[in-house]
Amino acid sequence: MSADVHSLIGAYALDALDDIERAAFDRHMRECEACRLEAAELRDAAARLADPAWSAPPPRLRENVLAEISKTRQVGPVPVAAPPGRARARSLRLVGAAAVILAVAAATTAVFVQEQRVRDAEAVAEAARASEARVRSVLSAPDVQVREQSLTSGGRVTVASSRLQNAGVIMLAADSPPASDRVYQLWTIRGTTPSSAGALGVGQSASVQLVEGLPGASAVGVTVEQAPAAQVPTTPLDALVELA
Amino acid sequence: MAERAHLTPVPGPEPEPATDAGTLLTAVARGDEKAFAKLYDLVAPRVYGLIRRVLRDPAQAEEVAQEVLVEVWRTAARFDPSRGSPTAWVFTIAHRRAVDRVRAEQASADRTMRAGVASVDLPYDAVADEVAVRLERQQVRHCLDDLTGLQRQAVTLAYYQGHTYPQVSELLNVPLATVKTRMRDGLIRLRDCMATGAAA
Repeated sequence: MSADVHSLIGAYALDALDDIERAAFDRHMRECEACRLEAAELRDAAARLADPAWSAPPPRLRENVLAEISKTRQVGPVPVAAPPGRARARSLRLVGAAAVILAVAAATTAVFVQEQRVRDAEAVAEAARASEARVRSVLSAPDVQVREQSLTSGGRVTVASSRLQNAGVIMLAADSPPASDRVYQLWTIRGTTPSSAGALGVGQSASVQLVEGLPGASAVGVTVEQAPAAQVPTTPLDALVELA
Repeated sequence: MAERAHLTPVPGPEPEPATDAGTLLTAVARGDEKAFAKLYDLVAPRVYGLIRRVLRDPAQAEEVAQEVLVEVWRTAARFDPSRGSPTAWVFTIAHRRAVDRVRAEQASADRTMRAGVASVDLPYDAVADEVAVRLERQQVRHCLDDLTGLQRQAVTLAYYQGHTYPQVSELLNVPLATVKTRMRDGLIRLRDCMATGAAA
């Protein structure tokens, strides 16, 4: 099994794995110091392929990026929470996201779901079924896939999806709520058709949303809409998490 | 040619000592915006070029490059030297993000919702060609030429086109196990070739 996983090391360095294999490989590396070294070397080699792609960016990109960072809060170093001897086996983004969503969701799901119930009448039916146990069953499913994207407006959206449970959990953690008359809204996208997966309340910037049947969707989108919620997305995507 | 006047003074892909980008990144992690501007000049043409190469569409490439560069600022403190060089860390973020976007496009889920992206019409190719002939670029190309045909195709189809290895296997009509092996030994050969500076 481990030899099988290890044969993926070149594809891993080239980002040619799907999310399941990537997560499996990340787990493999946590157990294997030599693999981490080899993966780092192959990644360095792969990254050199960026050299011949050199292309002068439009000058406004520099202005835009420098303007953007001046109002972007930086995250701190990864907290050293791993047991002794494991500190260097820090996860990549995906597994990190999984750990974060498991820890955060376990601690806060009930609160967020409660908040959602109170604030968002449309989501009551969903939220009523979104018991903490159901959310946990998705997050702990053996086939759970976790994907994460930044929100253009600042923050992250994390989607955990399990085919075995035929459900998924969308966790939105924006840096701040949108303007006073606007709300974050979640969408599931099947083919090219978006349908609402619930909107947050005015002033709300975090939410955990259980979505039954989520693995049938091809993507999850986030927009900022006029409160209370929109029938179809009316603004550009704040984030898109591809699931297929 | 007139475009050159608008270029920011970015260094080309000459070999940069790893400590240089590393020093900058350390300063960036402490919130040093000037260091970030220097790091930008060092990596932005390759970040943008790589993303554009993968995505093809200059407007989307610019959008994704901005996300990536802001992400570098935001998460600089998370850089872990045991996982590779500082520039490799940046290009890995860029590549991952570009590939994520390609796969999202392949699912074509977001076409209808992405109407607001402004299109850009600047002669990037002309500008890029002006600055294209640089030692490192030649070296990487030389080293790519040094691979077997199958190694080169497996590596470039994955890296520049954003294909998964099963897709590469299908495109090249070779077994999965062969593709995995060629990706690995192709990268090892690239690494060794670039380390010896064989192209110089």
